[in-house]
Amino acid sequence: MCCFIAPPDLLDAVLESGNEDEQAAARRTRQAAETARAQRVSVTGALRQLALTIADVAPAPGRVRTVYDAGNRGYYALPGRRVRGEGDPAVPDEAVNDAYDGSGLTYDFYREVFGRDSIDGRGLEIVSSVHYERDHDNAAWTGFQMIYGDGSGRVFRKGALTKAIDVIGHELTHGVTQFTAQLVYSKQSGALNESFSDVFGSLVKQYSRGQSAEEADWLIGEGILGTALQGVALRSMKAPGTAWTTAAGGGDRQPAHMRDYVDLPDDGDPANDNGGVHINSGIPNHAFYLAATAMGGNAWERAGRIWYVTLTERLRARSDFREAAEATVAVAGELFGADGTEHKCVRDAWRQVGVLDG
Amino acid sequence: MKVSVVRGGGFAGLVTTTTADTASLDPGDAEALRAKVGRVDLTAPPPAERGAGPADVPAYKVTVEDDGRVQELRVSESGLTPALRDLISYVGSVPGHEERVE
Ligand SMILES: [Zn+2]
Repeated sequence: MCCFIAPPDLLDAVLESGNEDEQAAARRTRQAAETARAQRVSVTGALRQLALTIADVAPAPGRVRTVYDAGNRGYYALPGRRVRGEGDPAVPDEAVNDAYDGSGLTYDFYREVFGRDSIDGRGLEIVSSVHYERDHDNAAWTGFQMIYGDGSGRVFRKGALTKAIDVIGHELTHGVTQFTAQLVYSKQSGALNESFSDVFGSLVKQYSRGQSAEEADWLIGEGILGTALQGVALRSMKAPGTAWTTAAGGGDRQPAHMRDYVDLPDDGDPANDNGGVHINSGIPNHAFYLAATAMGGNAWERAGRIWYVTLTERLRARSDFREAAEATVAVAGELFGADGTEHKCVRDAWRQVGVLDG
Repeated sequence: MKVSVVRGGGFAGLVTTTTADTASLDPGDAEALRAKVGRVDLTAPPPAERGAGPADVPAYKVTVEDDGRVQELRVSESGLTPALRDLISYVGSVPGHEERVE
């Protein structure tokens, strides 16, 4: 599979202002991208008719997982001590095996559903470090690897972060976004970055469990909450803002509609979360839920494909909610037919959350 | 002396505030807190703006109030010095500290 480095708006700029040779090159690049996309759609369509996926006809070339033990040390000591590589047998440390298995499920999801070979589409080694810091309540993507804390028991249950495959799928998808749309981690583009991670994190879970859109719980981090938080999960795509509360009266602040958008500054104050990236992601999260459940069936097959093509081929670093909405509507029409069910479901979903008018 | 640490921006999007006040700590712990603050450079420059790479990496705001003087430092987890990391972990674990999760 080929990969197009030049972002679409750069091609636009060259088509507008470049000299003749440059314009011709930009046109060729765009045509090549479109041809590759059409071929990809027809190949996966043909495979689907035979009840096969890409995994049945081609081996997974780039599933290379390596798990390290950070030894309760911090960022400065990453990745830590190498404890399990691809194909190695399980080790006594459960967190290591959980990170290994979860990144494998995520790799298989991207490979089998979208034909994507790892984070960068070119078989990049998937590196995870577990036991990051001591009793640490977080999982993250550093730009190079995943890191998992053990949890303190108060915010997250001990050992829960590496057991939740949607959390692992979420973190790995940040890597996919880094190699594709490069959505800047601030305000709306940052909330989209977060939302794509929740969408594909949830789809990894649904795919690995064989759950349809109706059967899925649409929760992120189900069962991982510690004693300081009361609730079912960390986020809900089905009902943003309802996932958890605290005894002190705090709780899940995610909006489900643009009228409740939380306009925080991106001023470096940790309380403002890069301009609310983990808060306002509730709006595009809910749009995906609405589109996928309106289409019915397996969410990764149609809604997931539309969101994947949008993320990997259409968005740019500073795309906002409206651009993302318009792109998914356009992609739905291109992949599944203008004015088809999918096209209509996607447009209606963005209208229901107040991102598109009408 | 009162030290508070606000942590946000992690995967959960939670904001956690931990505070330790020498007035409510054992004398030995209060002295240890003062020593740890003394080893931190509170005038370090703020972290550079983040691009599209790292995600869910927490950021910290450390505020030190002492005799009416307030100093504040903002730093990404990737930029924590050993002294800062030690201070943050102490504020979050010393007996008598307070924690609030929002
Ligand atoms: Zn995230």
